[in-house]
Amino acid sequence: MGATFSAVSTADFTQFLDRQVHGLHCSFVPGAGRELGESGCRTVLMSPYSSYFRDRVWGGIPVALWALAVFSYLVARAGAPLLRGSTDRREAGFLVAATGLPLGMSAVYFALSLHVGATCKVCVGMYVSSIVAFVAAVLAWRQTPAPSPEVAGSPAGWFAQGVGFVALSTAVFLAVTPPSDLGKTGTCGTLVQAEDPAGVMVDLKTGPTPAIEVLDPLCPSCKALDTRLSASGLGQELGLKGVLFPLDSSCNWMVTEALHPGACTVSEAILCAQGLGEKKNPAAARRLLAYAFAHQEQLREEAKKDPKALRALLEKDFPEIKGCLGGAQVKNKLGKSLRWAVANALPVLTPQLFVREKRMCDEDTDLGFEYSLAKLLAAGDGVAKKGVP
Amino acid sequence: MDARAKVLGLTVAAALLPAGLVGAWGSSARTRLAESSAAPSEVAIAAVSNDEYCTPQLKSVVRRVASACGLVQAEGGRGCQPTDAKKVASLSGGDFNALFRPLSRRAHIVQFDTDVAELDEGAKRLVETAWSDQRGASFFFVVARASPEGSADHNTKLSRDRAQAVLNHLQERFKDPELEKQVGLLWLGEDFAQLGEEFCTWNRSREACTPAELNRSAFMAWIDCAI
Repeated sequence: MGATFSAVSTADFTQFLDRQVHGLHCSFVPGAGRELGESGCRTVLMSPYSSYFRDRVWGGIPVALWALAVFSYLVARAGAPLLRGSTDRREAGFLVAATGLPLGMSAVYFALSLHVGATCKVCVGMYVSSIVAFVAAVLAWRQTPAPSPEVAGSPAGWFAQGVGFVALSTAVFLAVTPPSDLGKTGTCGTLVQAEDPAGVMVDLKTGPTPAIEVLDPLCPSCKALDTRLSASGLGQELGLKGVLFPLDSSCNWMVTEALHPGACTVSEAILCAQGLGEKKNPAAARRLLAYAFAHQEQLREEAKKDPKALRALLEKDFPEIKGCLGGAQVKNKLGKSLRWAVANALPVLTPQLFVREKRMCDEDTDLGFEYSLAKLLAAGDGVAKKGVP
Repeated sequence: MDARAKVLGLTVAAALLPAGLVGAWGSSARTRLAESSAAPSEVAIAAVSNDEYCTPQLKSVVRRVASACGLVQAEGGRGCQPTDAKKVASLSGGDFNALFRPLSRRAHIVQFDTDVAELDEGAKRLVETAWSDQRGASFFFVVARASPEGSADHNTKLSRDRAQAVLNHLQERFKDPELEKQVGLLWLGEDFAQLGEEFCTWNRSREACTPAELNRSAFMAWIDCAI
């Protein structure tokens, strides 16, 4: 059962290595319930804990792959006494220790899911399988007799065998999956007019490497990128400025409908919080953006029902923007923010990240984010970054 | 087959199964990636507006005004200078007004007192509202007029002052370096393209709407035409 759940999870992860959008299996029934939209499974998959070595391998090596290898190994180890018709306490004891590994990892990953704030049903399947395997191993160990000469091998050998299972799967994964470096990094466009003469950018981070993010405060992908940036630890490297680009037709003439209703109002609120004159308050703008990310769904729903109510809600939670929100000055400012995208002939989508004016490719902004960002950072003059090939 | 061989077979099968599955999934992803890389991108590119109402004639007027006002020069545009509207438009008054009719939702008309070129508070607010609604437009036209009272020369000067008053207020209020490259001024005086009563339903700064009051005005609109 654990092998099946982990196989489903590995398959889901691996399909994303084609850099496209896919549905995910998200059900307690292995292989059932494929979903395309947002779900706990998607949040967990895109979180930095779903794979390791993300800054060295595009997308990283999925932890589900190792789970699959370990569960397969446990099948082999548990099947051996059945085929042989005998076992001993030493072998059964090793099986208890071996099943302790997925059990321990399940405990760690359950805690991480609380941290991420999302639960993945397929992962829960693996947690339950781990518990069942461990309990079964303990029960078997309690019923097995003392050492038997029929049982060949030693715990060290069995352990090495397990390592071999993991190593083989990992090696095959690295050998057959698409190469990390497609040679596209830094070739997905550059800014032609990075300057901000109209003062529309919002200071998001204060690191040494200049970067610009084109974002919509009510866009789930922008929120996810923000989370990934924070979790990656690479965010502190960026002197990140945000350009507001709401995908909402009430202010953005480049979209024909409100993909994120209320995004224009929230963007205005962020600009108001930062201040429209010479004196800026970027901390207030960041607070409002964080609030928008945290309440995206509620704000979108509020805007759908009554745009005035959204404005009232924002003014209630951020009294400092009263008198500015909805005014001619801030509308003019937001228009200039949108026109900054026109001046740079940017694609009409969010988020977009530019590091030293070079655009991160769209397909690199989810699973391959850490790898691509590390590469873009390392491409800078004399800036050595850890883990970049 | 003895038990040891069976155990070995199980171990090898258990090791190869995940490796084989991962191999198949990984190869499939690699193939799909190669196929998708060859496909062209369908994402729209950010651009200024070019609405349906942008007829060739309107574009021609926009281009003439933009050129006469130095708006389309890349560097060091000279800004708007007094312009002979009739020459720029090369149209009859009626045809000139007809070009702007599709702008009913985008245009605003600020009205002035007789022989006055200063904006009142309502007019200032309307100028700011009009300017802030740029969206994807590239040019902001201010077309000022005067009612027929007084001499033609005086009314030409008066309408020029009215257009200038709009520009001055925008410069004072928004301090926008882009202004010089976006605002086109036209002053029509009293004898060209006077506004008819059909413009009374448009967005105006005052309630009163006699023909004379309607033409003591400056008509403002962002023009959503890429020229």
